[in-house]
Amino acid sequence: MRPERRLLFFVAAAAGFAAFLVWGLTGLPAFGHYRGPYGYLIDRLTVHYTHATGLVSAVNFFFRGFDTVGEEFILFVAATGLATVMRGLREEENEVSGGEAVSAGVSVPRTSDGVRTLALLLTGPTLLIGWWLTTHAQTDPSGGFQGGAVMATAVVLIYLAGEYLKLRRADPIVVTDSVEAVGAAGFAIVGLFGLVAGGTYLAEVLPLGKHIGAVNAGGTIPLISLCVGVEVMAAFLLVVSEFLGQTLVLKGALDS
Amino acid sequence: MRAPGTLDPLLPLVVVVPLLVAALLAALSALISQHRRVLDLVAIATSVAVSAMLVVLMARTAGGVAVYWFAGLHPRHGAAIGIDFAAGSLSCGLAALTAVLVTASMVFSWRYFETASTWFHSLMLVFLAGMVGFCLTGDIFDLFVWFEVMGVAAYALTAFRVEEKGPLQGAYNFAITNSVGAYLSLLGIGLIYARTGALNMAQIGRALGHGRPGSLVVVAFVLVLVGLITKGAIVPFHFWLADAHAVAPTPVCVLFSGVMVELGLYGVARVYWSVFGAGLGHRSAITAAFLALGILTALVGAFFSYRQRHLKRMLAFSTISHAGLFLVGFALLTPLGLAGAAAYVIGHGLVKAALFLCVGAVLHRLGSVDESRLHGRGRALKTTGVVFTLAALGLADLPPFATYLGAGWVGDSASSHGAPYVTAVVMISSILVGGAVLRVAGGVFYGLGDPPREDPRLRQGATEERSETSGDEAKVPLTMTLPPLVLVAAAAAIGLLPHLGSVLQHAALQVEDEAGYVKTVLGGAAVHHLSALSPKEPTAVRAIDLESGFGTAAGALLLALGGLYYRRLPGLKRLRPARVVADTFDRLQSGVVNDYLTWLVFGVACIGGALAFSLR
Repeated sequence: MRPERRLLFFVAAAAGFAAFLVWGLTGLPAFGHYRGPYGYLIDRLTVHYTHATGLVSAVNFFFRGFDTVGEEFILFVAATGLATVMRGLREEENEVSGGEAVSAGVSVPRTSDGVRTLALLLTGPTLLIGWWLTTHAQTDPSGGFQGGAVMATAVVLIYLAGEYLKLRRADPIVVTDSVEAVGAAGFAIVGLFGLVAGGTYLAEVLPLGKHIGAVNAGGTIPLISLCVGVEVMAAFLLVVSEFLGQTLVLKGALDS
Repeated sequence: MRAPGTLDPLLPLVVVVPLLVAALLAALSALISQHRRVLDLVAIATSVAVSAMLVVLMARTAGGVAVYWFAGLHPRHGAAIGIDFAAGSLSCGLAALTAVLVTASMVFSWRYFETASTWFHSLMLVFLAGMVGFCLTGDIFDLFVWFEVMGVAAYALTAFRVEEKGPLQGAYNFAITNSVGAYLSLLGIGLIYARTGALNMAQIGRALGHGRPGSLVVVAFVLVLVGLITKGAIVPFHFWLADAHAVAPTPVCVLFSGVMVELGLYGVARVYWSVFGAGLGHRSAITAAFLALGILTALVGAFFSYRQRHLKRMLAFSTISHAGLFLVGFALLTPLGLAGAAAYVIGHGLVKAALFLCVGAVLHRLGSVDESRLHGRGRALKTTGVVFTLAALGLADLPPFATYLGAGWVGDSASSHGAPYVTAVVMISSILVGGAVLRVAGGVFYGLGDPPREDPRLRQGATEERSETSGDEAKVPLTMTLPPLVLVAAAAAIGLLPHLGSVLQHAALQVEDEAGYVKTVLGGAAVHHLSALSPKEPTAVRAIDLESGFGTAAGALLLALGGLYYRRLPGLKRLRPARVVADTFDRLQSGVVNDYLTWLVFGVACIGGALAFSLR
């Protein structure tokens, strides 16, 4: 289709679609009139089942834990798939340049001292916040997904403070791959403990802790949160490293 | 049979085992990536184990839907608090077919890829787990999660060989179109959650109950549908499929065509019967809408299939055509219609997988997938040629391939429910599709007739395929001839099974028994007498089924010979299909994702408008 025609066609179709959607939305309950019952049930049962007060994590890692296993593997496959595609592209670039890694000859401007100092100063606190979020799924609205992303940010800050290329020489990618996979497997293995010791997959097998809302409450929730945190951090780092590597290749191609 | 209340541990294991093995292979990649055969063996052993477990589950669930509550969270006062798997024998059977095809394509890959990193095996196993989870789940959000697992794995597998521009473009169109469809599905799930406060399919179905559906339910149904029929390649949501098939590695195409598309349509049936059916009131408008979509898809797919010279695209369009026929089987809302669709899915899945594997062998040996360039060059590939021809006949509904039973039952059920023209549609589309593939069989493997004119569009793409495999192997290895042979034999053997019809119809009835499903899932009760909207119909193979099967295959053969020899027949030399019309249609498949999305929005508006006016 020619772009102008497509635009006309799209506008007409989208108008029909929008009308249909709005017609459906009029059937929603009024704002603030949640009817339940799922939300109310979870609200009432969480503390009884888990001794955890981090309700969101209790939903993510216990009541709907199996969804989260799937979601974790979506992230795993997405990061892995991206890495596969990017590495394929990079190998191609390398072949073009005659086997030498293009990034070897790239002149990357030095990071300014201001940026490096700030990045260094922020690294510690960021890592701490990430760690806190990852390990406090059972007590507060936090958990491994958020925590993992923040911890990955801390590592990116280190990249920024040092020079990425120098760090890359140490090749963290192979390690990142493995760590990511271990994180993904971890959750699935915790579920197997449930099958072996508790009778059903993902069944609670650890003591719930005496005090409701304490750091040691929540049974498997903190353990699962940790696995998820590791997985998310590694997946983010993998993606960031691949993109940085790609940027260097593109830069190299532009320079030469 | 297990006592009621106990949970079958095989149900979670068929998903968890492939996931774990995938993660472990990736975790150990630094150690084992040098040992290619270890990877192959572990991956194949895993999918064989999953197939075996699913066959056991299929037998166990014949007596009733098996329910598994994760973390042991049984429902409280009839409301689900956790996630369940709720699998009948149809779900388990489809999942078993998936696992068998995954096994076949991994055996095929043994020699097909010169180098295969850990990624390929990990991605395949996660893809398998996603498809199996999608089949077995009883929770609509969980359905979406596994739908996305299989989606993301499929995008990555399409772009797996990325040395050329083609795979990335195909994967891009595939990912964008299917992701937009999936987001609309998620929006639909959100709407239905807002109304019912439930994610368990049985619970939503019960809450929507009977009576007038209201606007929200109609809109939620259509939105949930969009993601599923996009995956199911229903016109006008189908454009991504040919692009993805043309560029994906052949062993991956086996799974896309053999089961992934079918899973999308299984999802339609599952969501309809467990969630929306009662709420929408099973009115004839539903049947009419799905019949129209199915018939349109069957004919459009068949037409495009016949026009292709690119073998993988030809098979891809044939899948679209068959997807339309499967949707027709569901649209009748009868147990026999669904059973027919199931038989068709099994037969088609096996022969289509065999066809793709043969094309893979041709590509491996001769380095091309262009019908004109390959003309007569396949003579040396004797086994592959025979298997390809048999599979092509199976695709044309030749008895005893299970496809003829599927075609027959869908046609029978349609005739007795006021849609006698369905039989004609099934025959026409099977003749076109079978004719196209038999033309390839005759031309490529036996050098019959004249080579078709070169398709200018294929010239640039000809090298595209090289990257998959070197294309000049001296001999087709056993790992490439055996899997398709076994699959074709299985398609014929299944068609000969006694009682296949009654077993499948019973499985279909399990799906369509809405009240029984709710009782089993939420009440924990075993249901002994299945009852559905529409009663069972006789499944004995009738003479007319055999006749139309042989008739279709004969028609396809004639069409194939016509395609090969028409230039030698005096009167027919100038007879060309209306070129202008055909070219206009060809241009619709533009490869531009913006076009595809415009069609998608247009499709939603049309289906939505039609159902809004008829169900309101």
